[in-house]
Amino acid sequence: GQEFRFGPCQVKGVMLRELQEAFWAVKDTVQAQDNITSVRLLQQEVLQNVSDAESCYLIYAMLKFYLNTVFKNYHNRTVEFRIMKSSSSLANNFIVIMSQLQPSQEDEMLSISESAHRRFLLFRGAFRQLDIEAALIKAFGELDILLAWMEKFYQ
Amino acid sequence: AGALAAPQNLSVHSTNLKHLLRWSPVVVPGGTVSYSVEYQGEYESLYASHIWIPSSRCSPAVGPECDVTDDITANVQYNLRVRATLGSQTSAWSTLEHPFHRNSTILTPPGLDVTKDGFHLVIELEDLGPQFEFLVFYWRRESGAKEQVKTVRRGGIPVHLETMEPGAPYCVKAQTFAKAIGRHSAFSQADCVEVQGEALPLAL
Repeated sequence: GQEFRFGPCQVKGVMLRELQEAFWAVKDTVQAQDNITSVRLLQQEVLQNVSDAESCYLIYAMLKFYLNTVFKNYHNRTVEFRIMKSSSSLANNFIVIMSQLQPSQEDEMLSISESAHRRFLLFRGAFRQLDIEAALIKAFGELDILLAWMEKFYQ
Repeated sequence: AGALAAPQNLSVHSTNLKHLLRWSPVVVPGGTVSYSVEYQGEYESLYASHIWIPSSRCSPAVGPECDVTDDITANVQYNLRVRATLGSQTSAWSTLEHPFHRNSTILTPPGLDVTKDGFHLVIELEDLGPQFEFLVFYWRRESGAKEQVKTVRRGGIPVHLETMEPGAPYCVKAQTFAKAIGRHSAFSQADCVEVQGEALPLAL
């Protein structure tokens, strides 16, 4: 079967198609709520030219943020059934991915993990620049960018 | 009239990644009871336990059964609950005793149709939807013959396996592979066909 390979981190039991379908079902609705078109949280500097070795650190930090901050608060703000369903499907699949990611903590990987952390801080910094409502909507709306990046590691 | 009774005996029956939630019907003489089904995945129970999501197909449901296949979309534990409604009356929620994980689904051997089209060995597998692939094993039934393997991505369409030669039957068996959970079914019964005629002379 197919799996994610973020460098040394291998993830099974997640159908990328299920994630994409969950997001596409609500993409237009969610992105229509995003009025700040001049800002992008997942800028090119965050996701471009990420080495395999870095990718496990970066995806771990991103998914942790989405689970702890974006979905959690977005869940509370939406009662629209379709968005709840999609958000739940994405969040639960992110939990499956997170549960299998074990980024190495060894010293020689320090510079790589720090590089990934800088990329994540760029994303989080942009998120914190915005009002929380706007930031949540934008972060949720940019899931297609994150999923497209994750697809590079799906084989 | 007393409070409306809550549905009892909730259970999930899952076969080939089709998940049916069932419960004992709430019977009210002269009344038509309907039901609402809600679910929460591991994420909701960990991060937002107050959040329950209405099932896609069964809010409301008229019979004591609900297809929750479209709601179970990740390899995590899911809590499921049901309540009854009669007019303005609503029962308490009944929650599935043990959370459901789709890994527990029963995988059945695939339906397999083996035919010959002239000298061609052709099969057709049961269409189980995009969640499944098939591993097909086929061999010429004679001593020393080697077993061949072919992955078939979708059921419901004819697949050409081999051009047969007379003189010995060709046999086929298959198993499903559930991609989402990475599990195989048992094999189907082997089915064999044979083409008549003279075995072709070996090239000199």
